Amino acid sequence: MTAIATDPPRSAVSSPLERAYARLGVLLIAPTILVFTLVIVYPLLAAIYLSVFSIYTPTLQGGFVGADNYVELLTGKAFWNSLRVTLIWTVGTLTLQIVAGVGLALLLHQNIWFRSLARSLVLFPYFLSTVVAVLVWKWLFNDLYGALNHGLMQLGIIDMPLDWLGSMPNAMIGVILVGAWKYFPFVVIAVLARLQTIPENLYEAARIDGAGPIARFWDITLPQLRSVLTVIILLRAIWDFKEFDLLYLLTGGGPVTSTQTLSLLVYQEAFGLNQMGQAAAYSVGMMLVMLVFMVLYIRQTKEKA
Amino acid sequence: MANVIFKDVHKSFGSFVALEKLDLDIRDGEFVALLGPSGCGKSTTLRMLAGLDFPTSGEISIGGRVVNDLAPGKRDIAMVFQSYALYPHMTVGENIGYPLKKRGIKGAARAEAVQKAADLLQLGALLDRKPKQLSGGQQQRVALGRALVREPQVFLLDEPLSNLDAKLRSYMRAELIELHRRLGKTMVYVTHDQLEAMTMASRIAVMHGGHVQQFDTPDAIYNRPANRFVAGFIGTPPMNQVEGTVEGGDFVIAGHRVPIDRTAYSADLHDGPAVLGVRPEAISIGSGEGLPATVRLAENTGHETIVTLELPDKRRISARVEAARRLDVGQPVALRLDPAAIHLFEATENGARLNLDDTPASVIPMRST
Ligand SMILES: Nc1ncnc2c1ncn2[C@@H]1O[C@H](COP(=O)(O)OP(=O)(O)OP(=O)(O)O)[C@@H](O)[C@H]1O
Ligand SMILES: [Mg+2]
Repeated sequence: MTAIATDPPRSAVSSPLERAYARLGVLLIAPTILVFTLVIVYPLLAAIYLSVFSIYTPTLQGGFVGADNYVELLTGKAFWNSLRVTLIWTVGTLTLQIVAGVGLALLLHQNIWFRSLARSLVLFPYFLSTVVAVLVWKWLFNDLYGALNHGLMQLGIIDMPLDWLGSMPNAMIGVILVGAWKYFPFVVIAVLARLQTIPENLYEAARIDGAGPIARFWDITLPQLRSVLTVIILLRAIWDFKEFDLLYLLTGGGPVTSTQTLSLLVYQEAFGLNQMGQAAAYSVGMMLVMLVFMVLYIRQTKEKA
Repeated sequence: MANVIFKDVHKSFGSFVALEKLDLDIRDGEFVALLGPSGCGKSTTLRMLAGLDFPTSGEISIGGRVVNDLAPGKRDIAMVFQSYALYPHMTVGENIGYPLKKRGIKGAARAEAVQKAADLLQLGALLDRKPKQLSGGQQQRVALGRALVREPQVFLLDEPLSNLDAKLRSYMRAELIELHRRLGKTMVYVTHDQLEAMTMASRIAVMHGGHVQQFDTPDAIYNRPANRFVAGFIGTPPMNQVEGTVEGGDFVIAGHRVPIDRTAYSADLHDGPAVLGVRPEAISIGSGEGLPATVRLAENTGHETIVTLELPDKRRISARVEAARRLDVGQPVALRLDPAAIHLFEATENGARLNLDDTPASVIPMRST
């Protein structure tokens, strides 16, 4: 039905049957559009509306302030600090996710005896509730009785327990690590699925052509993974960019604001400082940044179709 | 010097024996076809030669060097896969140049070699395309180009023409013959198409059930098949095989006697059960004296007619006659077999041929090497 709708030369001279199909098509997507409007378009417009008011969150009362909130966004430090933090967090955790994810996918693609067990185990962090994961990691990171410090001291890498989540740059390293741990299984599964569809005889041909294992990775595996990696990177970048619960539970944005990403800033502004209007302005700013990723993603998926 | 020798090679996949006691001695510059039905182990043989599979036991050597422990890239071979296995993300030019790139040949030298291979295969205009944008025949030529570009010692081809239509296939057959003549390199060619094997190869290894049944020239394969399998596999329609008994100077089929010359057969031919083999073209259909039969089907292909005949005991055989010959279904006829064209086989399932003479029973045009 979409084919008919997006095919102008044909629908222009459409037969009664084609018109009936088009009507049916509109009817079938109508519920989706309705729900979409209610849960996405309305809040979006509401946020833009709120962002030009100064609103006290508990009462939702306040006056029109024009562009004041946006002036604060552009001239104040908070937004730019959080944007910087968000980018560091996103790039850091995403890089680790991709490297670890592709690496493990390659390993699990080999014929190793524990393959099927490992394939199911690898999903564990992804399925684990964030609250549980954070509790476990907080315990591991704890500066007094944490297993991480204990291990590092036993190995002689450090001689004093480190304050992992309470000081910089350790806190950032900590959240990046936990984020990578939590989300790399997604990369593993997506890459593994693609790996299994690469024809074996490409590798055989490459072997005959004189390519060693490393050349085969660069010349065959990686180009074949290109399209799936682009989609994974864009999707994960969007998700990591707006990640909230993991960071909020792990550090709450601290120490001070050194791990306060844009999501945390918006939350803090809206429910900590009770400035709903300013929070709405921040979230509109955040949305504009994300729009860049969105456009890239849409372009990428369109190219493939 | 690039002869290829398989010495007592066995190959099992788990408990399944794919190849048993494989011995092949392929001479330098020879065009050898591995011919056999599906699953007989042709690809396995080729893959072991390429180094993609490993023999369970035995020795494979190329140019006098044992290659059992040599990586595929070090064997100085090139292979054309049945599915072409072109690198999808590389252009035609990059595909053809890849073996050179991996051997450290750079810049102008590589470009020149790629151009030469592309010209040879008329791919010059397609160098910047991706494999996806090519027809099957063009892809096949790219796969050949990638094999040719390096001038390896031995070419391995695994059913390279099987995905092409009949016309392109016969064109590519001629091209390959020409190419082999020009390069003079050893070629091992896997096919299940006897026409390809007969027309292209200087020698054919007929394989069946993991064994080489016969390794000989197309002429010998056709005219002196080593056993019942080869006799029944080669020829369209294949050689007729009729079970009967040898009684003195006669072969008895359903009570009728066909005279045979006992001196033309080995001492292993005893009175008793045996199998008579005769090619469809060595049967003449007439009336009066001879083996009685009834015409059941006459298929005119334009230049000849294939006649299906029923013997008195309901067994069917086929004969080849000129297209102009009129034969009616149900018509009783008498068959005469050319005594020089009678093959006798042991009466076992894949009985050996017992003829002594090495004179061809009929002659088909052959390509010389
Ligand atoms: N990796 C494998 N594991 C188990 N059995 C295999 C494997 N590869 C091949 N075989 C078996 O070995 C036998 C020979 O296979 P091969 O591929 O050599 O056949 P082939 O002669 O090339 O047939 P075709 O004409 O269909 O390509 C077959 O019976 C096949 O099932
Ligand atoms: Mg095969």
